[in-house]
Amino acid sequence: MAVAFDSENPDLPPAGPPAGRAELLVRIFGPLLLLGSIVGGWEFLVRINEIPPYILPGPGLVVESLLDNWHSLYPSLLVTLRITFLALAVAVVGGVGLAILFSLSRWVELSLFPLAVVLQVTPVVAIAPLILIYVDNITLALLICAWIVAFFPILSNTSMGLASADHNLRDLFELYGASRWQQLLHLRLPSALPYFLGGLRIAGGLALIGAIVAEFAAGTGGTGSGLAFRILEAGWRLEIPRMFAALLLISFAGILIFLAFTALQHLLLRRWHASAASRER
Amino acid sequence: MAHEPPPGITVTVPRLVLGDTLLFADLSCRLPAGRWTCLLGPSGVGKTTFLRLIAGLVEGGEAIADDGRPLTGRIALMAQQDLLLPWLDVLGNTLLGYRLRGSPDGRLPELERRARRLLSRLGLGHRLTARPAELSGGMRQRVALARTLMEERPVVLMDEPFSALDAISRHRLQEVAAGLLDRHTVLLVTHSPLEALRLGHRILVMGGQPASLREIPVPPGSPPRQPGDPALLALEAELLEELAASDARTEEAWASTVP
Repeated sequence: MAVAFDSENPDLPPAGPPAGRAELLVRIFGPLLLLGSIVGGWEFLVRINEIPPYILPGPGLVVESLLDNWHSLYPSLLVTLRITFLALAVAVVGGVGLAILFSLSRWVELSLFPLAVVLQVTPVVAIAPLILIYVDNITLALLICAWIVAFFPILSNTSMGLASADHNLRDLFELYGASRWQQLLHLRLPSALPYFLGGLRIAGGLALIGAIVAEFAAGTGGTGSGLAFRILEAGWRLEIPRMFAALLLISFAGILIFLAFTALQHLLLRRWHASAASRER
Repeated sequence: MAHEPPPGITVTVPRLVLGDTLLFADLSCRLPAGRWTCLLGPSGVGKTTFLRLIAGLVEGGEAIADDGRPLTGRIALMAQQDLLLPWLDVLGNTLLGYRLRGSPDGRLPELERRARRLLSRLGLGHRLTARPAELSGGMRQRVALARTLMEERPVVLMDEPFSALDAISRHRLQEVAAGLLDRHTVLLVTHSPLEALRLGHRILVMGGQPASLREIPVPPGSPPRQPGDPALLALEAELLEELAASDARTEEAWASTVP
């Protein structure tokens, strides 16, 4: 049987044009332009109306204050980020672990999932003071608060991802004699990866918010030295530019976390998942 | 390719209901050992269910091998969808079965060589590291065929394996598959009378509700037969009529179940 195919095939999909340059320009310069005009307008309004800095500082003053106070704000940023990432790490381990457990036992899922929902719908601001009372170690208390908000998106997304593995593929695995463990490792976990990464992107931002909220709740205790504490401290002293400077840092941290996870998602999925692949034309 | 002689299979289905539909009642059928059986019939008549039943994925009937040993682990299945894992490349998908079974040490290089040879024979030699998302539908179907062939199971069940291919590729792949699966017990579900007449040692038409099977004469000569053969073309016309009749039977049965 000497049937062979020629090297090239007519049904090869085209390689796709390079990402539209016009779109790239819009993606980068659109937001920059908008941001620039907002900041410019802000500065303009502050100057034209001669608003005193203790009511609304102009953006120039905020940046100046950020640089002046870098020695106190930077360590605070590190404290807040440490809590954020620790909470996120625990949320990932706990969320993925629990999701796997759910996928293996319907019984566990039905009993535990409502509890997870209760945890999710309770506002962290409301329970943070309680946690701070019951947990002596402030860092641990902050960690718990940030974990509570970061945990749920990871659990719920991963859980959905594990359940969404194609039924026909499960049949195939069964026919190939794959064990439950192999099915999990080679089919369900990879299928869940896009969902998990989506959850991680949400959880990253939420962990930062959770950490800040918890610091606010703990703030008056005075032991915390995260960015929220700096905001409170500057507020008591009516150093409004410094409040804005700390706020700016928090925003930047949030944006960086989001961008980092978006990049991770793209890196892991671009070869095979529709959400990250460049579209065929 | 198979190391053990392929078994013949006897399928009996006392009663099988899917949803509200009585698909099969007292259906029985034999797949002769080492031969290709082609199964034709209108959509929705139960061909895929019949195939899944033999694979052990649907309850309600029995498929017994002539040699008395269980069929588990002796069946390779190629479904209608290509069922490739999107995160594995072409080579990884082709070797999926061995990956899951954990092939014995030292065999992997040899298996990989064989997979490469097979893939280049199927026209995919230059796309070994591509992911399924980067391939066309026809190419994905060829990868699925390669994976099925790599399994080296004596029994192969195929559900419209060539439906997404263009006419030329289909013609070539039919010959490749017929060559590589010679002396296997094969059940091929297809919508194409020509395909069945080219490849089948035996042709069955499924129709009605509950479905029954009707055997159709095959052209002389051994598969793969040439599509231009006058005897084959004459039978194709006959088979088309038979299919139209079984389609009507099935429709009638459906109509009679609607109040």
